[in-house]
Amino acid sequence: MATEGRSMLDLVYVLGTLAFFTLMLAYVRACAALGRVESRNVERSAADLP
Amino acid sequence: MTLNGWLQILVYCLCVLLVAKPLGIYLVRVYDGSLTWLGPIERAVYRVCGVDATEDQHWTRYAGGMLLFSVASMLLTYLVLRLQAVLPLNPQHLAAVPDRQAFETSASFTTNTNWQSYGGESVMSYFSQMTQLAFHNFVSAAVGIAVAVAFVRGIARKSAGRVGNFWVDLTRGTLYVLLPMSIILALMFVQQGVIQNFRPYADVVTLEGAKQAIAMGPVASQEAIKQLGTNGGGFFNANAAHPFENPTPWSNFWSMFAIFMIPSALTYLLGRMVRNQKHGWAVWTAMFVLFVGGVSTAYWAEARGNPIHAARGVDLATSATNPGGNMEGKEVRFGIANSALYATITTDASCGAVNSMHDSFTPLGGLVPLANIQLGEVVFGGVGAGLYGMLVMVVLTVFIAGLMVGRTPEYLGKKIQAREIQMAMLYVLIFPAAILTMSAISALLPAGLQGLNNAGPHGLSEILYAFSSTAANNGSAFAGLTGTTYYYNTMLGLNTLIGRFAMMVPMLALAGFLAEKRIVPESAGTFPVTTPLFVVLLVSVVVIVGALTFFPALALGPVVEHLLMGAGKLF
Repeated sequence: MATEGRSMLDLVYVLGTLAFFTLMLAYVRACAALGRVESRNVERSAADLP
Repeated sequence: MTLNGWLQILVYCLCVLLVAKPLGIYLVRVYDGSLTWLGPIERAVYRVCGVDATEDQHWTRYAGGMLLFSVASMLLTYLVLRLQAVLPLNPQHLAAVPDRQAFETSASFTTNTNWQSYGGESVMSYFSQMTQLAFHNFVSAAVGIAVAVAFVRGIARKSAGRVGNFWVDLTRGTLYVLLPMSIILALMFVQQGVIQNFRPYADVVTLEGAKQAIAMGPVASQEAIKQLGTNGGGFFNANAAHPFENPTPWSNFWSMFAIFMIPSALTYLLGRMVRNQKHGWAVWTAMFVLFVGGVSTAYWAEARGNPIHAARGVDLATSATNPGGNMEGKEVRFGIANSALYATITTDASCGAVNSMHDSFTPLGGLVPLANIQLGEVVFGGVGAGLYGMLVMVVLTVFIAGLMVGRTPEYLGKKIQAREIQMAMLYVLIFPAAILTMSAISALLPAGLQGLNNAGPHGLSEILYAFSSTAANNGSAFAGLTGTTYYYNTMLGLNTLIGRFAMMVPMLALAGFLAEKRIVPESAGTFPVTTPLFVVLLVSVVVIVGALTFFPALALGPVVEHLLMGAGKLF
């Protein structure tokens, strides 16, 4: 039982690590998307200028 | 304080100044690809790893490569630490590293933190130390420099968001910078008496007749990259206070110098790559001003000593036979000046190696390393991390200057607009959010309080230091906090990951956004980033951002402890 518990914790740490880095990859995409939106906003506000 | 102490600090400062240009020029040649003396090895690495060295990567691809490399190397380390009992080079037959410590250690070394909740000599086999921990010492440092160089490229060029090639930067940084410098420094350490062997531990009988195991190992090679890469994880539990790791005043000086060599040179690289050398020196000067402020305060506080000791008859005056001041937790062979200097350097940079016990510093002396870490370690800083952290502060400085004069801020010809500031603010806010949230949770939960060995404000300082140190990827410990629990191993390991990657991503995004912009010529309204006014404003922004964020927590920790010490109370 104790060994099984230990293996489970190993699994938790490994899966937790993978989840964290997956989240970071999503974070990269989110930052890129935010940059594109803001870039369009800047272009639009520049185009509004007389 | 003594003249001798000040002279040693002055000599150190001169060395940090003098190394900036020659090493900076070398770094520029490494990262612009013009240096090729290790070309055959470099090309072999690319061939084996399937790297297209000619690819100029968009910042998202650069960040993706950095994340994938980090997760793969972290999981490999976790596996090796869990299996070390059945792996070679384990003459002491050390058991597998417990799961919680394997997670924390693999996260910590992958992120250049090197927070250690274990004694290296009693937990890690030679195999684990050499193939995993030393490996991360090299590559985590190379990743930091790579990201800083990518950021500088973002400022310097107009390239549709392309900031270089992560795999090339990683390989060249390791091969041309860290490996050769480490070999030279390791030989210098061996000459000074740092050990380098694979022998089993020596069993000796002490003068009192007790048996004692003297730990051995390949220390010099790990010590060199530990300092150069601002990693800080000691081979031994006592880190640079151990006589086999830091035996002489010379080894102590080389250790301190190695920490600041690359960060100092990176400011020169900045100036050279953006074709504005004065700007590089202005950033260097701002870092230097903050460094001098820190080391002066720490030296003054420690040389002044503890007034309660004086009231009880301890002689705090310096003489030929008495170092005076507060010598608690300090090695007599290094004294107060070199302990205060080491503590300031190691926390200005994200190194974390220690030659004295920060927990035993006076409250104000201990506040200096804590505040250095909380300023974001931008004072020369960790290799790469210090420069890109400071460049975020530069972006904020020109933004504030632009607001003051009512113009769109520009940084070296690049307009700073909403998305750049959003990324800069992510960088600035994630750091305190991680530290303060986790510290607050730990100060409330029984699992967090169980690890404390000191009550009152000193206990709070210990918790705050642990989370500040791990989030900033420093790795030094204030000590006094028992970190070998499931709670602390997991929380601190997670904190190192957040402090590294959740901050590197917006940093690379900022680099990519800047790289997309065209360079506009300077005009009369451009805020100059080469003048003393810029240096003053930059230093002010660093201090004000740090103070606004952390002063309330510091007030409850070291500041109130200092006031209570004046009233005769110790913790």
